[in-house]
Amino acid sequence: MLENAGSRLKAWAIAGIGTAAAIAVAGVLGAFGARHEPLPVLAPSSRIDTGEWQIRPLKAYVSAEKYVYGALLKPGGKALVLELEMTNRTARSTKDYFDLLQVGQATIDPATKPFIALVRDSTMSPELHPGMPERMAYIWQLPDGAAASASLELTVIRKTYKPRDNLYGLPGWFNPAPIGTMTIPVGAGPDAPDMQP
Amino acid sequence: MMRRLANIALLLVAVAFCYGLQVSKPHYGDLIGPIPARGKPGDTVVGRGFEIHAEKIEFARKLTVDQYGQTKILTTGGVWAVVTAEFAARAQSTVVSVASWRGPTGLTYDQTERLSFMNGLLPVALDPGLPRKARLIFELRPDEVSNATLLVSEKLVAALDSQAEISLGPVTTAADGLPTGTVDMLDMAQPL
Repeated sequence: MLENAGSRLKAWAIAGIGTAAAIAVAGVLGAFGARHEPLPVLAPSSRIDTGEWQIRPLKAYVSAEKYVYGALLKPGGKALVLELEMTNRTARSTKDYFDLLQVGQATIDPATKPFIALVRDSTMSPELHPGMPERMAYIWQLPDGAAASASLELTVIRKTYKPRDNLYGLPGWFNPAPIGTMTIPVGAGPDAPDMQP
Repeated sequence: MMRRLANIALLLVAVAFCYGLQVSKPHYGDLIGPIPARGKPGDTVVGRGFEIHAEKIEFARKLTVDQYGQTKILTTGGVWAVVTAEFAARAQSTVVSVASWRGPTGLTYDQTERLSFMNGLLPVALDPGLPRKARLIFELRPDEVSNATLLVSEKLVAALDSQAEISLGPVTTAADGLPTGTVDMLDMAQPL
Protein backbone atom coordinates (compact mmCIF):
# COMPACT_ATOMS: atom_id res chain seq x y z
CA MET A 1 0.00 0.00 0.00
CA LEU A 2 2.68 2.45 1.11
CA GLU A 3 4.97 1.34 -1.69
CA ASN A 4 2.22 2.00 -4.18
CA ALA A 5 1.62 5.53 -2.82
CA GLY A 6 5.33 6.27 -2.96
CA SER A 7 5.67 5.32 -6.62
CA ARG A 8 2.56 7.31 -7.48
CA LEU A 9 3.96 10.35 -5.72
CA LYS A 10 7.20 9.93 -7.64
CA ALA A 11 5.30 9.80 -10.96
CA TRP A 12 3.35 12.97 -10.09
CA ALA A 13 6.52 14.77 -9.08
CA ILE A 14 8.29 13.84 -12.33
CA ALA A 15 5.29 14.93 -14.41
CA GLY A 16 5.13 18.25 -12.52
CA ILE A 17 8.83 18.94 -12.95
CA GLY A 18 8.59 18.12 -16.65
CA THR A 19 5.68 20.50 -17.18
CA ALA A 20 7.40 23.28 -15.25
CA ALA A 21 10.56 22.80 -17.30
CA ALA A 22 8.58 22.91 -20.59
CA ILE A 23 6.83 26.16 -19.56
CA ALA A 24 10.15 27.67 -18.47
CA VAL A 25 11.81 26.79 -21.80
CA ALA A 26 8.83 28.27 -23.73
CA GLY A 27 9.08 31.43 -21.65
CA VAL A 28 12.81 31.73 -22.30
CA LEU A 29 12.16 31.30 -26.04
CA GLY A 30 9.69 34.20 -25.90
CA ALA A 31 6.36 32.40 -26.26
CA PHE A 32 4.62 34.74 -23.80
CA GLY A 33 6.02 38.05 -25.00
CA ALA A 34 5.65 37.82 -28.76
CA ARG A 35 2.21 39.38 -29.21
CA HIS A 36 2.68 42.43 -27.06
CA GLU A 37 4.94 44.51 -29.25
CA PRO A 38 3.27 47.78 -30.29
CA LEU A 39 2.61 48.25 -34.02
CA PRO A 40 5.01 50.56 -35.84
CA VAL A 41 3.76 54.06 -36.59
CA LEU A 42 3.68 54.82 -40.33
CA ALA A 43 4.22 58.29 -41.73
CA PRO A 44 0.81 59.43 -43.04
CA SER A 45 2.06 60.78 -46.36
CA SER A 46 4.36 57.88 -47.20
CA ARG A 47 3.82 55.14 -49.77
CA ILE A 48 2.86 51.97 -47.94
CA ASP A 49 3.24 48.51 -49.42
CA THR A 50 0.59 46.09 -48.18
CA GLY A 51 1.46 43.19 -50.46
CA GLU A 52 -1.49 43.49 -52.81
CA TRP A 53 -1.62 47.29 -52.81
CA GLN A 54 0.60 50.29 -52.67
CA ILE A 55 -1.29 53.08 -50.94
CA ARG A 56 -0.51 56.76 -50.45
CA PRO A 57 -2.97 58.72 -48.29
CA LEU A 58 -3.73 62.12 -49.82
CA LYS A 59 -6.21 63.85 -47.52
CA ALA A 60 -9.00 63.33 -45.02
CA TYR A 61 -11.97 65.60 -44.40
CA VAL A 62 -15.52 65.68 -43.14
CA SER A 63 -18.26 66.22 -45.71
CA ALA A 64 -21.89 67.12 -45.16
CA GLU A 65 -22.93 66.92 -48.82
CA LYS A 66 -25.87 64.72 -49.79
CA TYR A 67 -23.74 62.67 -52.17
CA VAL A 68 -20.05 62.06 -51.58
CA TYR A 69 -18.58 60.50 -54.73
CA GLY A 70 -21.89 58.88 -55.53
CA ALA A 71 -22.47 57.55 -51.99
CA LEU A 72 -25.82 58.75 -50.63
CA LEU A 73 -25.55 59.88 -47.01
CA LYS A 74 -28.41 59.75 -44.52
CA PRO A 75 -30.33 63.06 -44.41
CA GLY A 76 -28.47 65.54 -42.25
CA GLY A 77 -25.62 63.09 -41.83
CA LYS A 78 -21.94 63.67 -42.17
CA ALA A 79 -19.24 61.47 -43.55
CA LEU A 80 -15.56 61.17 -42.93
CA VAL A 81 -13.79 60.88 -46.28
CA LEU A 82 -10.26 59.60 -46.82
CA GLU A 83 -8.82 60.04 -50.29
CA LEU A 84 -5.83 57.97 -51.23
CA GLU A 85 -3.89 56.77 -54.23
CA MET A 86 -4.02 52.99 -54.66
CA THR A 87 -1.96 50.88 -57.03
CA ASN A 88 -2.68 47.22 -57.66
CA ARG A 89 0.66 45.41 -57.27
CA THR A 90 -0.67 42.00 -58.25
CA ALA A 91 -0.87 40.38 -61.68
CA ARG A 92 -4.63 40.63 -62.10
CA SER A 93 -7.53 43.02 -61.63
CA THR A 94 -8.94 42.87 -58.12
CA LYS A 95 -11.19 44.64 -55.65
CA ASP A 96 -9.76 43.05 -52.52
CA TYR A 97 -9.51 46.36 -50.67
CA PHE A 98 -12.42 46.14 -48.26
CA ASP A 99 -10.25 45.04 -45.32
CA LEU A 100 -7.24 47.16 -46.20
CA LEU A 101 -7.84 49.90 -43.64
CA GLN A 102 -9.26 49.60 -40.12
CA VAL A 103 -10.36 52.76 -38.37
CA GLY A 104 -9.43 53.35 -34.78
CA GLN A 105 -12.09 52.94 -32.11
CA ALA A 106 -11.74 56.61 -31.10
CA THR A 107 -12.77 57.89 -34.54
CA ILE A 108 -15.57 55.67 -35.80
CA ASP A 109 -17.20 52.45 -34.67
CA PRO A 110 -15.03 49.79 -36.36
CA ALA A 111 -18.20 47.93 -37.42
CA THR A 112 -19.08 50.78 -39.82
CA LYS A 113 -18.33 49.59 -43.33
CA PRO A 114 -17.08 52.35 -45.61
CA PHE A 115 -18.31 53.09 -49.11
CA ILE A 116 -15.30 52.83 -51.43
CA ALA A 117 -15.52 54.86 -54.63
CA LEU A 118 -13.36 55.74 -57.59
CA VAL A 119 -12.82 59.51 -57.51
CA ARG A 120 -12.47 59.70 -61.31
CA ASP A 121 -16.16 59.02 -61.99
CA SER A 122 -17.73 57.94 -58.68
CA THR A 123 -17.98 54.25 -59.57
CA MET A 124 -18.71 52.26 -56.42
CA SER A 125 -16.01 49.70 -55.56
CA PRO A 126 -14.71 48.94 -59.05
CA GLU A 127 -11.96 46.46 -59.76
CA LEU A 128 -8.57 48.15 -59.98
CA HIS A 129 -6.19 47.01 -62.67
CA PRO A 130 -2.53 45.97 -62.32
CA GLY A 131 0.01 48.77 -62.28
CA MET A 132 -2.53 51.58 -62.79
CA PRO A 133 -2.62 54.03 -59.84
CA GLU A 134 -6.10 55.35 -59.10
CA ARG A 135 -7.42 57.92 -56.66
CA MET A 136 -9.96 56.26 -54.39
CA ALA A 137 -12.17 57.57 -51.58
CA TYR A 138 -13.12 55.66 -48.41
CA ILE A 139 -16.34 57.18 -47.05
CA TRP A 140 -17.43 56.39 -43.49
CA GLN A 141 -20.85 57.62 -42.44
CA LEU A 142 -20.53 59.29 -39.02
CA PRO A 143 -23.17 58.60 -36.36
CA ASP A 144 -25.77 61.34 -35.86
CA GLY A 145 -24.52 64.23 -33.76
CA ALA A 146 -20.99 62.86 -33.52
CA ALA A 147 -18.33 65.51 -33.23
CA ALA A 148 -15.77 65.27 -35.98
CA SER A 149 -12.40 64.43 -34.51
CA ALA A 150 -9.29 66.30 -35.56
CA SER A 151 -7.47 63.21 -36.74
CA LEU A 152 -8.22 59.86 -38.29
CA GLU A 153 -6.48 56.83 -36.82
CA LEU A 154 -5.99 53.91 -39.16
CA THR A 155 -4.50 50.46 -38.96
CA VAL A 156 -3.14 49.21 -42.28
CA ILE A 157 -3.60 45.51 -42.98
CA ARG A 158 -1.33 43.51 -45.26
CA LYS A 159 -1.87 40.11 -46.85
CA THR A 160 0.57 37.41 -47.91
CA TYR A 161 0.70 35.73 -51.30
CA LYS A 162 0.47 31.97 -51.50
CA PRO A 163 1.10 30.35 -54.89
CA ARG A 164 -1.22 27.51 -53.85
CA ASP A 165 -3.77 27.64 -51.08
CA ASN A 166 -4.48 24.60 -48.95
CA LEU A 167 -8.07 24.12 -50.08
CA TYR A 168 -8.15 24.57 -53.86
CA GLY A 169 -4.45 24.62 -54.79
CA LEU A 170 -4.95 28.00 -56.45
CA PRO A 171 -2.97 31.22 -55.93
CA GLY A 172 -4.31 33.95 -53.69
CA TRP A 173 -3.71 36.50 -50.96
CA PHE A 174 -4.27 35.28 -47.41
CA ASN A 175 -3.54 35.81 -43.71
CA PRO A 176 -4.41 39.46 -43.07
CA ALA A 177 -2.11 40.98 -40.44
CA PRO A 178 -1.63 44.59 -39.32
CA ILE A 179 1.55 46.29 -40.46
CA GLY A 180 1.24 49.57 -38.60
CA THR A 181 -0.91 52.46 -37.55
CA MET A 182 -1.04 56.00 -38.81
CA THR A 183 -2.76 59.22 -37.86
CA ILE A 184 -4.03 61.47 -40.63
CA PRO A 185 -5.06 65.06 -39.86
CA VAL A 186 -8.71 65.71 -40.77
CA GLY A 187 -9.04 68.85 -42.88
CA ALA A 188 -11.96 71.22 -43.12
CA GLY A 189 -13.31 70.26 -46.51
CA PRO A 190 -12.73 68.64 -49.88
CA ASP A 191 -10.71 71.60 -51.19
CA ALA A 192 -7.74 71.03 -48.89
CA PRO A 193 -4.47 70.34 -50.74
CA ASP A 194 -3.08 66.80 -50.90
CA MET A 195 -0.42 65.76 -48.43
CA GLN A 196 2.99 65.70 -50.06
CA PRO A 197 5.50 62.97 -49.27
CA MET B 1 28.63 -8.15 -51.35
CA MET B 2 27.77 -7.66 -55.00
CA ARG B 3 24.18 -8.40 -54.25
CA ARG B 4 24.02 -5.86 -51.42
CA LEU B 5 25.50 -3.15 -53.68
CA ALA B 6 22.93 -3.97 -56.36
CA ASN B 7 20.15 -3.67 -53.79
CA ILE B 8 21.40 -0.28 -52.65
CA ALA B 9 21.67 0.92 -56.26
CA LEU B 10 18.12 -0.26 -56.93
CA LEU B 11 16.90 1.57 -53.83
CA LEU B 12 18.58 4.78 -54.97
CA VAL B 13 17.04 4.46 -58.43
CA ALA B 14 13.62 3.94 -56.83
CA VAL B 15 14.09 7.04 -54.64
CA ALA B 16 15.15 9.14 -57.64
CA PHE B 17 12.18 7.86 -59.66
CA CYS B 18 9.69 8.65 -56.89
CA TYR B 19 11.21 12.11 -56.45
CA GLY B 20 10.88 12.73 -60.19
CA LEU B 21 7.22 11.69 -60.07
CA GLN B 22 6.59 14.01 -57.13
CA VAL B 23 8.32 16.98 -58.78
CA SER B 24 6.64 16.54 -62.17
CA LYS B 25 3.16 15.95 -60.73
CA PRO B 26 0.76 18.55 -62.19
CA HIS B 27 -0.91 20.72 -59.60
CA TYR B 28 -4.62 20.54 -58.95
CA GLY B 29 -5.09 24.05 -60.31
CA ASP B 30 -3.47 23.03 -63.62
CA LEU B 31 -5.49 19.83 -63.87
CA ILE B 32 -8.88 21.51 -63.52
CA GLY B 33 -7.95 24.70 -65.43
CA PRO B 34 -9.79 25.95 -68.49
CA ILE B 35 -9.30 24.17 -71.81
CA PRO B 36 -7.96 26.65 -74.39
CA ALA B 37 -9.52 27.12 -77.84
CA ARG B 38 -6.96 29.23 -79.68
CA GLY B 39 -7.36 31.59 -82.60
CA LYS B 40 -6.58 34.97 -84.14
CA PRO B 41 -8.74 38.05 -84.72
CA GLY B 42 -10.93 37.33 -87.74
CA ASP B 43 -11.06 33.60 -86.98
CA THR B 44 -14.13 32.00 -85.53
CA VAL B 45 -12.90 30.37 -82.33
CA VAL B 46 -15.07 27.42 -81.40
CA GLY B 47 -15.43 26.39 -77.77
CA ARG B 48 -17.63 23.75 -76.19
CA GLY B 49 -20.68 25.93 -75.68
CA PHE B 50 -20.06 29.08 -77.72
CA GLU B 51 -18.23 30.58 -80.68
CA ILE B 52 -16.52 33.96 -80.83
CA HIS B 53 -15.34 36.00 -83.77
CA ALA B 54 -13.32 39.08 -82.80
CA GLU B 55 -14.00 41.67 -85.51
CA LYS B 56 -12.11 44.80 -84.59
CA ILE B 57 -10.04 46.38 -81.86
CA GLU B 58 -10.06 50.12 -81.23
CA PHE B 59 -8.03 52.19 -78.78
CA ALA B 60 -9.17 55.48 -77.29
CA ARG B 61 -8.13 58.03 -74.70
CA LYS B 62 -11.71 58.69 -73.62
CA LEU B 63 -15.09 57.03 -74.01
CA THR B 64 -18.44 58.77 -74.22
CA VAL B 65 -21.49 56.92 -72.98
CA ASP B 66 -25.14 57.75 -72.55
CA GLN B 67 -26.29 57.33 -68.98
CA TYR B 68 -29.96 58.08 -68.24
CA GLY B 69 -30.10 60.48 -71.19
CA GLN B 70 -26.94 62.34 -70.19
CA THR B 71 -23.62 62.09 -71.96
CA LYS B 72 -20.83 61.01 -69.68
CA ILE B 73 -17.12 61.08 -70.55
CA LEU B 74 -14.97 58.37 -69.04
CA THR B 75 -11.28 59.09 -68.68
CA THR B 76 -8.55 56.61 -67.81
CA GLY B 77 -5.03 56.61 -66.45
CA GLY B 78 -3.96 54.32 -69.30
CA VAL B 79 -5.77 53.63 -72.56
CA TRP B 80 -9.18 52.18 -73.38
CA ALA B 81 -9.31 49.09 -75.60
CA VAL B 82 -12.66 48.23 -77.17
CA VAL B 83 -13.02 44.84 -78.86
CA THR B 84 -16.12 44.23 -80.97
CA ALA B 85 -16.93 40.54 -81.22
CA GLU B 86 -19.69 38.37 -82.56
CA PHE B 87 -20.86 35.53 -80.34
CA ALA B 88 -22.91 32.47 -81.20
CA ALA B 89 -24.23 29.59 -79.13
CA ARG B 90 -23.60 26.05 -80.38
CA ALA B 91 -26.04 23.31 -79.39
CA GLN B 92 -27.94 25.06 -76.60
CA SER B 93 -28.60 28.49 -75.14
CA THR B 94 -25.82 29.85 -72.98
CA VAL B 95 -24.46 33.03 -71.42
CA VAL B 96 -20.94 34.30 -72.05
CA SER B 97 -19.98 36.50 -69.15
CA VAL B 98 -16.23 36.75 -68.60
CA ALA B 99 -13.49 38.33 -70.68
CA SER B 100 -10.01 39.45 -69.78
CA TRP B 101 -6.94 40.82 -71.53
CA ARG B 102 -3.64 39.13 -70.76
CA GLY B 103 -0.71 41.39 -71.62
CA PRO B 104 2.72 40.25 -72.82
CA THR B 105 4.10 40.16 -69.26
CA GLY B 106 1.18 38.11 -67.96
CA LEU B 107 -0.71 40.93 -66.24
CA THR B 108 -4.41 40.17 -66.59
CA TYR B 109 -6.93 42.97 -67.01
CA ASP B 110 -10.60 42.18 -66.44
CA GLN B 111 -13.32 44.04 -68.29
CA THR B 112 -13.96 47.44 -66.80
CA GLU B 113 -16.78 47.72 -64.27
CA ARG B 114 -17.19 51.44 -64.85
CA LEU B 115 -19.74 51.04 -67.67
CA SER B 116 -21.93 48.45 -66.00
CA PHE B 117 -25.07 50.45 -66.85
CA MET B 118 -24.43 50.22 -70.61
CA ASN B 119 -26.04 47.81 -73.07
CA GLY B 120 -24.02 45.69 -75.45
CA LEU B 121 -21.47 44.48 -72.90
CA LEU B 122 -21.00 41.05 -71.42
CA PRO B 123 -22.78 39.03 -70.16
CA VAL B 124 -24.55 38.19 -73.43
CA ALA B 125 -27.31 35.58 -73.54
CA LEU B 126 -27.01 33.48 -76.68
CA ASP B 127 -29.38 31.11 -78.42
CA PRO B 128 -28.42 28.65 -81.17
CA GLY B 129 -28.75 30.14 -84.63
CA LEU B 130 -29.05 33.72 -83.34
CA PRO B 131 -25.57 35.28 -83.24
CA ARG B 132 -25.13 38.53 -81.30
CA LYS B 133 -22.49 41.19 -81.16
CA ALA B 134 -21.04 42.64 -77.99
CA ARG B 135 -18.28 44.96 -76.90
CA LEU B 136 -15.49 43.98 -74.55
CA ILE B 137 -14.03 47.10 -72.91
CA PHE B 138 -10.72 47.12 -71.06
CA GLU B 139 -8.71 49.76 -69.26
CA LEU B 140 -5.04 48.97 -69.93
CA ARG B 141 -1.56 50.15 -69.29
CA PRO B 142 -0.15 51.20 -72.70
CA ASP B 143 2.79 48.77 -72.36
CA GLU B 144 0.39 45.81 -72.00
CA VAL B 145 -1.32 46.40 -75.35
CA SER B 146 1.03 44.68 -77.80
CA ASN B 147 1.16 40.88 -78.19
CA ALA B 148 -1.75 40.40 -75.82
CA THR B 149 -4.21 37.52 -75.54
CA LEU B 150 -7.94 37.94 -75.17
CA LEU B 151 -9.47 35.33 -72.85
CA VAL B 152 -13.23 34.74 -73.07
CA SER B 153 -15.21 32.17 -71.13
CA GLU B 154 -18.75 31.51 -70.07
CA LYS B 155 -18.16 31.51 -66.33
CA LEU B 156 -15.64 33.09 -64.01
CA VAL B 157 -14.33 29.72 -62.89
CA ALA B 158 -13.93 28.06 -66.29
CA ALA B 159 -12.79 24.79 -64.70
CA LEU B 160 -12.71 21.98 -67.27
CA ASP B 161 -14.62 24.13 -69.74
CA SER B 162 -13.38 25.84 -72.86
CA GLN B 163 -11.88 29.31 -72.83
CA ALA B 164 -11.33 31.16 -76.11
CA GLU B 165 -7.76 32.47 -76.32
CA ILE B 166 -7.37 34.97 -79.13
CA SER B 167 -3.81 36.13 -79.84
CA LEU B 168 -4.05 39.78 -80.77
CA GLY B 169 -0.56 40.15 -82.24
CA PRO B 170 1.84 43.10 -82.21
CA VAL B 171 0.53 46.67 -82.00
CA THR B 172 2.83 49.54 -82.93
CA THR B 173 3.25 52.43 -80.55
CA ALA B 174 3.03 56.08 -81.53
CA ALA B 175 5.31 58.84 -80.21
CA ASP B 176 3.02 59.60 -77.25
CA GLY B 177 3.39 56.03 -75.93
CA LEU B 178 -0.16 55.02 -76.87
CA PRO B 179 -0.92 52.48 -79.61
CA THR B 180 -0.92 53.76 -83.21
CA GLY B 181 -4.41 54.78 -84.28
CA THR B 182 -5.61 55.69 -80.77
CA VAL B 183 -8.53 58.06 -81.16
CA ASP B 184 -9.23 60.81 -78.66
CA MET B 185 -12.88 59.96 -78.13
CA LEU B 186 -14.91 56.85 -78.90
CA ASP B 187 -18.68 57.00 -78.77
CA MET B 188 -20.16 53.92 -77.10
CA ALA B 189 -23.70 55.01 -77.97
CA GLN B 190 -23.06 54.04 -81.59
CA PRO B 191 -24.89 50.83 -82.53
CA LEU B 192 -22.74 47.74 -82.87
